[in-house]
Amino acid sequence: MNGLGFRLMTLWLALAALLAPMVARAQAEPHLKSRLVAESSAPKAGTTITLALLMRPDPTWHGYWKNPGDSGVETNIEWTAPPGVTIGPIQYPVPQTLLISGLMNYVYEGPYTQLMELTLPAGLAPGTKLPIRGKADWLVCTSEICVPETAELAIDLVVGDGAVDAATRAEFDRYRAALPKPLGSEAKFAVAGSSFRLGVPLPAAAAVSQAYFFPLTDGVIDYAAPQTVTRDGDLLVIETKAREGEAAPAKIEGLLKLGEHNGLMLTAVSGTVPAGGTPLAKAGEAAGAGEEGDAATLLLALGGAILGGLLLNIMPCVFPILSLKALSLARSGESEASARKEALAYTAGVVLVCAALGAILLVLRAGGNVAGWAFQLQDPRVILFLLLLVAAIGLNLAGLFELPVISGGDSLASSGGMGGAFWTGALAAFVATPCTGPFMGAALGAALVLPPAGAMAVFAGLGLGLALPFLALGFVPALRRKLPRPGAWMDKLRRILAVPMFATALGLAWILGRQAGVDGMTLGLGAALLIGLALWWVGRRQARGAGAAWWPLVPAAAAAIALLVVVPREPAIASAKTESALSAEPFSEARLAALRSEGRPIFVYFTADWCLTCKVNEKAAIERAEVADAFKARKVAVLVGDWTRGDATIGRFLATHGRSGVPLYLFYPAGGGEPTVLPQVLTPGTLTALGA
Amino acid sequence: MSRLFALVTLSVAIAAPASAQPRIGAPAPAFSGVDSNGRPVKLADYRGRTVVLEWNNPGCPFVQKHYRSGNMQKTQARARQDGAVWLSVNSGASGKQGHMTGAAANGFVKAQKAQPTAYLLDPSGAIGRAYAAKTTPEIYVIDAKGILVYQGAIDDRPTADPADIAGARNHVLAALAEVKAGKQVSVAQTRSYGCSVKYAS
Repeated sequence: MNGLGFRLMTLWLALAALLAPMVARAQAEPHLKSRLVAESSAPKAGTTITLALLMRPDPTWHGYWKNPGDSGVETNIEWTAPPGVTIGPIQYPVPQTLLISGLMNYVYEGPYTQLMELTLPAGLAPGTKLPIRGKADWLVCTSEICVPETAELAIDLVVGDGAVDAATRAEFDRYRAALPKPLGSEAKFAVAGSSFRLGVPLPAAAAVSQAYFFPLTDGVIDYAAPQTVTRDGDLLVIETKAREGEAAPAKIEGLLKLGEHNGLMLTAVSGTVPAGGTPLAKAGEAAGAGEEGDAATLLLALGGAILGGLLLNIMPCVFPILSLKALSLARSGESEASARKEALAYTAGVVLVCAALGAILLVLRAGGNVAGWAFQLQDPRVILFLLLLVAAIGLNLAGLFELPVISGGDSLASSGGMGGAFWTGALAAFVATPCTGPFMGAALGAALVLPPAGAMAVFAGLGLGLALPFLALGFVPALRRKLPRPGAWMDKLRRILAVPMFATALGLAWILGRQAGVDGMTLGLGAALLIGLALWWVGRRQARGAGAAWWPLVPAAAAAIALLVVVPREPAIASAKTESALSAEPFSEARLAALRSEGRPIFVYFTADWCLTCKVNEKAAIERAEVADAFKARKVAVLVGDWTRGDATIGRFLATHGRSGVPLYLFYPAGGGEPTVLPQVLTPGTLTALGA
Repeated sequence: MSRLFALVTLSVAIAAPASAQPRIGAPAPAFSGVDSNGRPVKLADYRGRTVVLEWNNPGCPFVQKHYRSGNMQKTQARARQDGAVWLSVNSGASGKQGHMTGAAANGFVKAQKAQPTAYLLDPSGAIGRAYAAKTTPEIYVIDAKGILVYQGAIDDRPTADPADIAGARNHVLAALAEVKAGKQVSVAQTRSYGCSVKYAS
């Protein structure tokens, strides 16, 4: 070994010696703090209680799901408990994806809670002490390093009456709400070569803004590959890359994540999964996960952007600038070479400004909610804002008021040569933004769902389209002589373009109505009216040449912002749903007890928006006229429990009837008798026969 | 326009994750690299001999489990006694945990009394990506005909606790014994466990 190498080695060994105690100290203070708590510290003999292992990773550290992904380790606990006491497997909450250098990790980046069921043997005397001990091993990592940690878990229980105080119950209900819910229906999967397709039965009416499949069964899919989600009626299809070279098992298990804390556990059997369907935005919540992109979508968005940019040229706010510049180019009779140079400089200006606008938008997107913009579009406040914006643009196009002319770049633009052409392009792109209307809207929409590279391409495409005519003018002299002259026709065109704008506003009002009900829609339209009146006033002041023409907008904008805050956020659809001929009431144990004490026969059903069996039963059996008539004749009360969000009281009620999920159909006979559990597949006949 | 689109396609391709997993029973991906002494190493150089690839990161606790206990060294010694070639591969990118210069790698080998035939430096991750190596440690066994016959963990106890080595099945030694006896490898693929390979982003 040469001298330098030896010195380097010594250095390395010295470093290692220095680092070793640091690592030792780091292990003394865990990166993942844990705490074991019991729902009841005085459990009753012969019952089951829940234990919660609260996990709190340090900032930038993460713990792992049961299937950790490409690397990592699940939590392992070795329990030591008194004889007869059994502790079930760890139940994991809905995980997150974390893609690091092309390797997928299924993790928890913030605090999370793992639950276990502890069962006591029957016949333990009250007062018996139950020391529960456990040795837990887990792996905790940053994107750079991993540390395996061990914790000693201990909790002392005393056999008692099983009482649970309200605060603890509420806390545990929160933990349970983060667990995935069993889907109930069986999913199908198909592997063909390197393609893996999973078909999940999910009602078409269930709103889904994102979906990602976390497989529990290892070796079936390539974890890091992006997942594409499509919906086709009552089927949600996830397509991704299969792990090649491994025979797929007959059955796979996994978790379909539909949102934060919203996951469905499912089992899929090998079968056929139809192709086609409507694409949902990219799956993969991690921004990088959907990177591979759907080339067709990108191509379409790019084409649309270029076409949109091209159309922008005839927009009233761009055309004057462009035509003046073009006319000057034609008039000056410059050489071919300098005409081309100017055209290229102009193109550069346009594309740069468009790309800059796109970059700003992407930064906003990155800074905003990671949950994704598609999710935000379900927020009625966002829809209301868009409605007001579109209405204002429509009123502007209709000529109610004028936008102030941006003249800053004008002096630069009028200067000759390439610099002038560049600034004209920049100005055209900038001035175009207020009146881009639907074209920019489409590009924005695409930018919100596409990966960053694709989104930037769309914005650059918009700029390219905007620059195309000038580019053509620069390169084809014959065109320069055929320019239409700006005139009254442009004004007419602008008025006509107000029509699609107002149509867009109408569409947005409809969406608002769907999301926030009639009240919300009326509030939104009221806000639009207010803004409209204010803008009218602005227009009148502008026409008179009054100074500070914009002040009437201030109170209107303030009122609109106030409305943004109060607009109801809970969809009004939920209430409409129960409003069937059955006159069903929402389920609560108190209401059930009251009805039973009245001696009424009661039909209770539990449903969820994502439960296909439930929806089929409701359509085919429950919401039928003959059933309503039969129930009415026999005074059968109907209670409906909605478990879409995993309500914990309903979850407990389901558990007492031996179900871990929906559907559940119960019939309580008249006179307060014990309920009958009805089959999972209902017919109108089953229901009309009830209580007969 | 077409150039713009080509650019977009290119950036998408670069961002795409690791390439396809090499298949058991198919020819192992060819590679060439440089070892800790600056010597070029090619897989083709060892045609006719069994080759073991071991993904290494001295900073990873799971790697430490098998080195501090001497389990990895023992496995390396047994493999080489039987005529196999053992190549430790470090795909840690510069600046990431476990990344080493040649001198540091030689220091590690010496300090740990490790016995690889060579210690390959793969900071670009080219070899790691070609094999879709995901964790450290992770082992690949390639037979004399260049066919991949084993991929996965060193043993069947996915923990960082050295006490678990005693009762574990050493998948690598088992596979090597079967290869030597001319038999089909009975456990040809397992789930590797450990830290993620610290690839360049």
